Amino acid sequence: MNRRLFIRKLIDAVVLLAMVLVFNFFLFRVVDRDPLARYRGRSKLSPEQRAAIIKRFGLDGSKWDQFVTYMSRTVRGDFGRSFDSTKPVKDEILAALPNTLTLVGISTVLTIGIGLWIGIRAGWRRGSSFDKITTPVTMALYGTPEFFLGMLFLAFLGARLGWFPTGGVSDPAAEYTGFAAVVDRARHLVLPVATLTLGYLGSYSLVMRTSMLDTLREDYLTTARAKGLRDRDVMRSHAVPNALLPSVSLIAIGFGFIIGGAITTETVFSYPGLGLETYEAINNNDLPMMQALFMFSSIAVIVFNIFADVVLAFLDPRIKVSV
Amino acid sequence: MNAPLLVVDDLNVTYRSSRGPIPAVRGVSLSLEAGETLGLAGESGSGKSSLIMALLRLVPPGTTVTGSVTMAGEDVLAMKPGRLRAVRWAEAAVVFQGAQHVLNPVRRVGQQIQEAIDCHTGSNRVDDLLEQVGIPRSRRDAYPHELSGGQKQRVMIAMALACDPELLIADEPTTALDVMVQAQVLQLLADLRSERGLAMIFITHDLSVLSTVADRLAVMYAGRLVERGPAKEMLRGAHHPYTKALAAAFPTIGDRSSRLAPSGLAGDPPDPTAVPSGCPFHPRCPIATEECAVAAVALRPLSPDWEAACIKL
Amino acid sequence: MSSLSAKRRRQSAARVLRQLRHDRAAMIGFLLLALFVTMALTAPLFADKSELRAVAGRNNPDLHPPNSEFWLGTDELGRDVFALVMWGARVSLYIGLLATVVAVVIGSVLGLVAGYARGWISRVMLAIDDFFLVLPFIPLAIVLALLLGRSPTIMALVIGGTFWAGGSRLIRAQVLSLRERGYVERATALGASSTHIISRHVLPGVAPLIIANASLIVPGAILAESTLAFLGLGDRFSPSWGKVLDGAQSSGALTLNAWWYYLPPGLCIIGVVLAFTLIGNALERVFDPRLLGR
Repeated sequence: MNRRLFIRKLIDAVVLLAMVLVFNFFLFRVVDRDPLARYRGRSKLSPEQRAAIIKRFGLDGSKWDQFVTYMSRTVRGDFGRSFDSTKPVKDEILAALPNTLTLVGISTVLTIGIGLWIGIRAGWRRGSSFDKITTPVTMALYGTPEFFLGMLFLAFLGARLGWFPTGGVSDPAAEYTGFAAVVDRARHLVLPVATLTLGYLGSYSLVMRTSMLDTLREDYLTTARAKGLRDRDVMRSHAVPNALLPSVSLIAIGFGFIIGGAITTETVFSYPGLGLETYEAINNNDLPMMQALFMFSSIAVIVFNIFADVVLAFLDPRIKVSV
Repeated sequence: MNAPLLVVDDLNVTYRSSRGPIPAVRGVSLSLEAGETLGLAGESGSGKSSLIMALLRLVPPGTTVTGSVTMAGEDVLAMKPGRLRAVRWAEAAVVFQGAQHVLNPVRRVGQQIQEAIDCHTGSNRVDDLLEQVGIPRSRRDAYPHELSGGQKQRVMIAMALACDPELLIADEPTTALDVMVQAQVLQLLADLRSERGLAMIFITHDLSVLSTVADRLAVMYAGRLVERGPAKEMLRGAHHPYTKALAAAFPTIGDRSSRLAPSGLAGDPPDPTAVPSGCPFHPRCPIATEECAVAAVALRPLSPDWEAACIKL
Repeated sequence: MSSLSAKRRRQSAARVLRQLRHDRAAMIGFLLLALFVTMALTAPLFADKSELRAVAGRNNPDLHPPNSEFWLGTDELGRDVFALVMWGARVSLYIGLLATVVAVVIGSVLGLVAGYARGWISRVMLAIDDFFLVLPFIPLAIVLALLLGRSPTIMALVIGGTFWAGGSRLIRAQVLSLRERGYVERATALGASSTHIISRHVLPGVAPLIIANASLIVPGAILAESTLAFLGLGDRFSPSWGKVLDGAQSSGALTLNAWWYYLPPGLCIIGVVLAFTLIGNALERVFDPRLLGR
């Protein structure tokens, strides 16, 4: 992968990011004529209090002034204060971020890894018992809303059988330290990770299977077999590297959905991460919070997309700078 | 006298499809001596490619292959998978048709050649092989899409030689190339043949190509052999009407007799699932009579080394 | 002339239907779909819509397991869960289908324009398309729904407004490849206007793709709607299945083991999504014979 391509991708990403920020701004300002239309308790405010709040939230002045204020504050990391808790949005987000990173990080790795593996195996041996079992199962999983899966896990494995805690990130009552604390956290992660992993496994596996089936017709596989390679090596060295290519771009788009899934999963399990913050922001009409969360999730998806583009350029030597 | 390098006896290849079994090769027998070049000719769909794919059991799963293919004393069709993999490429290697899609697009060509060497613990070096086929060593790290058609074909040949096989099977190696490049590749194959004493099976539908390359010629139609004999003599004057028509369709430049021969052949080759009764060629044959539609035809010897499947001879 | 092409179109439509009838997966899909459509249509026969509005002073027991009166038990407000599920079919299907129509219309128009136009228009459209593909769908939909309202129609518009990007890409690619074919050039040379070319030549070539793509957007739209409803958006007095699940979650049905409350709506969502996925895959197979054997 050459440097020019990488720099071009970076520039594209920065441009996208700028577009997201602008979009974010207009989204929230254009709709309401009264800037405090959603501020709780607005009817009880005196005119001076209103003016002070408007100033504090940077909602005064012309649209252009507001935009400048918004951009300068955002770049400095000031996302305003939550309408709900009145604490700085940045602090609340930073507090919740590590939990979500753990959950989404582990789940993404698992769902992509397991999903691709199933898809490769099912596609390579189409019609085998592995394929006959996993394909309907992955189709059913694809059609299952991940939060429903979470609800089932919580109800049966958590509440009924008591194997796993039914929520939270750790046990507040017991005060674990050291290794026990890690184990406690891990136990609380099992069901949410399982939910997020299984919820998105289906699409990865089905896409990869389709890709493998397309690759099976290629002539270079016959060449590889004629050279005396084992079936396993033909699959690994020749089929999979080619079959992965169309999957990579779809994987990148899929990440946007995993982000959405994190929101509902954290809600089901009351897991204190950015997803739960989103749920609370929705139900409290907390616009500054929502705005910041939207921006962060967009950034996450953009970053993941760059990563996927880099991986794709690395895997496919036919990709050149001019697209 | 040495035993032949390759003996094919009554080979039948039947594909499985949703429309029912498709017999692509019917009862073909032939043999090849070490160092000999056999030209295998026929129209598309005559079964040539199916025949050679079956030689190394490279047919799709579910395909029925019966008969025997004896290579260096062993029956390839009866080999265990491990032995088959060892024999592939080390005893017989294939240069496939249409080098466009037969090379892995995401691996460098040098790597793909090296893979063949590693598979059989060979001692050849990729650079030497490339040099032998006339490709500069610097191209070893190129990807297939960075090479021209002719270069790709040469890479295929280099790859085929990687494990020093006794037999090289070339499936229409010049078909996708333009004329100048064709000549170069043919020359290369001829040189390799004389330098290494390689036996070759050279498949084509263009007989003119075979005139310089082949020692013997076998012509296929609808899955069967219709004529077999010495190449030069056959090209000058074939016996079977199909071979005559095939030769006439590709006149040899400079050969005055081919200018006067009737050229072109009406109709299409038969659908493998609906082959005409009796002699399969009779619907298109200029000298066919009523009995041609009735009697099944086998190869009959016309001279010690020459056979044709026609009751009119 | 036009009757000839109309006849041809009828013939190919008949061929499509014939092929579908032999496709087992497609038949299962249609059966499932028929089941849910029936559910939606016959809902009034089983329960009155007013039952969905929790009225104070109702005598029904709360969170009661299924019995002869309440086939699927009651929710925490004493509402009949069976009625909720039956009426929920209407809301979920309505939003899912309307959202798909919106997404397909926007996506197709933009895809056609992007593919047919040349120069900077095409590049700008590509950029817009890229932009929308990158935005995470659910957060965007949440924000839009918060700002614009929660009625079913608005939800459908919001979902459709965020889902069109994938389809427009495909359509643009198809239009580009169709444009390369000779008859578009010839038509232009003969003086045909762009509208004529698009409607008579390009559209028929793109139509199968649009249909197959649409049938695969529906499951996504339904899932998106159920997610948004679960998170709190959506009307609790005309609840979709996702909204019913939200009710189950908030009322603690999970820990109280009120399985009759959360299992039926969840299974219905899975069923409908599966139905459309099976049909969509079958349509893809029919329209592109190379995909046969998947």
